[in-house]
Amino acid sequence: MSEPKGHALALLSLTKKYGDFVAVADVTLDVGRGEFLTLLGPSGSGKTTILMAVAGFVAPTAGAILLDGRDITPLPPEKRDFGMVFQGYALFPHMTVAENVAFPLRVRRLPRAERDARVRAALDLVQLEAFADRLPRQLSGGQQQRVALARALVFDPALLLLDEPLSALDKKLRAELQEELKALHRRVGRTFVNVTHDQEEALSLSDRIAILNHGRLVQAGAPGALYERPRTRFVADFLGKSNFLEGTVWGPAPGGFALDVGGARLAVRLPDGESPPAEGARSLLSLRPEKVALLSGEESAENIAEGRILAFAYHGTGFALRVETAHLGEIRAILPAWKAPIAPAEGLAVRLGWAADAAVPVQEDAA
Amino acid sequence: MDGAYRSGPAGRFLAWSTALYLVLPILIVLPVALTDQRFLSLPYERISLQHFRTVLTSPEWLGSIWQSFTIALASTALSVVAGTLCAIGCWRISRRATEMVRVLMLLPLIIPSIVYAIGLYRYFGALDLLDRFLGVVIAHGVTGIPYVVITVSTALAAFDPRLEQAARGMGASLSQTLRWVILPRIAPGIFSGAIFAFIHSWDELVMVLFIASRDVFTLPRRIWDGINENLDPAMAAVAVLLILFTLLLLMADLALRRRSQGR
Repeated sequence: MSEPKGHALALLSLTKKYGDFVAVADVTLDVGRGEFLTLLGPSGSGKTTILMAVAGFVAPTAGAILLDGRDITPLPPEKRDFGMVFQGYALFPHMTVAENVAFPLRVRRLPRAERDARVRAALDLVQLEAFADRLPRQLSGGQQQRVALARALVFDPALLLLDEPLSALDKKLRAELQEELKALHRRVGRTFVNVTHDQEEALSLSDRIAILNHGRLVQAGAPGALYERPRTRFVADFLGKSNFLEGTVWGPAPGGFALDVGGARLAVRLPDGESPPAEGARSLLSLRPEKVALLSGEESAENIAEGRILAFAYHGTGFALRVETAHLGEIRAILPAWKAPIAPAEGLAVRLGWAADAAVPVQEDAA
Repeated sequence: MDGAYRSGPAGRFLAWSTALYLVLPILIVLPVALTDQRFLSLPYERISLQHFRTVLTSPEWLGSIWQSFTIALASTALSVVAGTLCAIGCWRISRRATEMVRVLMLLPLIIPSIVYAIGLYRYFGALDLLDRFLGVVIAHGVTGIPYVVITVSTALAAFDPRLEQAARGMGASLSQTLRWVILPRIAPGIFSGAIFAFIHSWDELVMVLFIASRDVFTLPRRIWDGINENLDPAMAAVAVLLILFTLLLLMADLALRRRSQGR
């Protein structure tokens, strides 16, 4: 089932302006066949505008949208053949579940028998066969969400567009449906384009994530690549949490460079093929809190910072520490609770350590 | 309403007397309609249904009832189609200009009907629509539009615009979206408007006095003439029938609303 039968989508320099306000600025992005792509960004980042432009509800000011290389920019939404799951689902309240799912087929004037068979198959896909004759308001949020999915997939759309599909659900249900959505994507093998502001959802669902801010595409890539090697401060901050360390490049070091931050010298190792910044240049490092360890006794690390615990919080799986260090300012660390070497306490003197390849140089975002 | 203020005896007295003040003039026609006398009066010796019999057997009264009914039906159809399309159009375009259009559509409700009637009289003469079935239908239909515009606009305000987007996104044309998604959702509003437009035409007198004379002789017109010429209690009987009919329509409207709220 994994052979990709979806269609490829391409955005070319897509721009949308509302008067002087630029909602989407020159976004170029490719979505491969059968790929699950997530547009991730804070509210006002232009992600929904892009989705609505792909769906045909928003006419771009400039640029083009291509489906398998064919320009579909001027097509109205009803001619695009895309399935869409709306925020809040937009199920027709006066129709039963089966009638809702049958709607796209009725519009296409499919014969009754085929229509019924496909509705049954679609409801089967989302495990709602037993609810065919209910009205949407008689279903729970999660069930409504699955009806919306069945309705969007029943007519074999070229593309499935999802507008914050899980945002109306509570946390536990959201996690459940994330898994279902992922499994569904694997089963149907179509191209999915998802919009969300929830970074966890983006990380767990997507083959690829495109991060947007102020209408611009900041970085696109596989979830792991984005998380491990964020290119800018915004990406490092929005996708997960991060410490930021700013300093002056001291000079090259084996496999990387040394950075002077507030008088302390930090070792930074770069991946193969990346050249270190020039000596004397300013550089910004992103350091994930979970990569910072609490050193016990004589334990050593490539980078060490001494300080005192300002505050800590227990999260079940781990401790979140805020440590005031002598040279680096405040550093956040997350320790697995079950193997924390000490019991954290406010004011306690501690030594933090991390590997040279734990910190990643990032750029300041253009304002 | 738990926790609401409870009304004192003075408040309750005031409320009941207001209600009675509103309802009594309507209720008074009931005994008058049942009088055993040959003039407008309360029953002297016994209750009699003779005036109902007169009304229901007289070709004049029956003719007027039928004429009023067909005029009301036709003008309601006109009001509903024009009013619904106008409301949907304004809702879809929804600019400042459409607000103006909506206010314009309410004009027949705001302008005194006698002013309207004089205007109609002036140009219906030129169009040869005076004393014609079609003329009265047009006059009533146009003045019934505001009721439909108001009720349908209210229904549309509660309509989730994403449903329209969803329908179009799934490939529905404008007419399919209209028939299968928008109209079923706003049907209660349309019915409400239709009922009001019907009642409006059914008891309209002023315009009919101006634009109709002999061929078109609606029920309100016949009651009016009856009052002017002789004080026949048959009019009270007609009035009772009218009240019952109107009550029936209003109850239908209420039932429809309750059903749509249940959804």
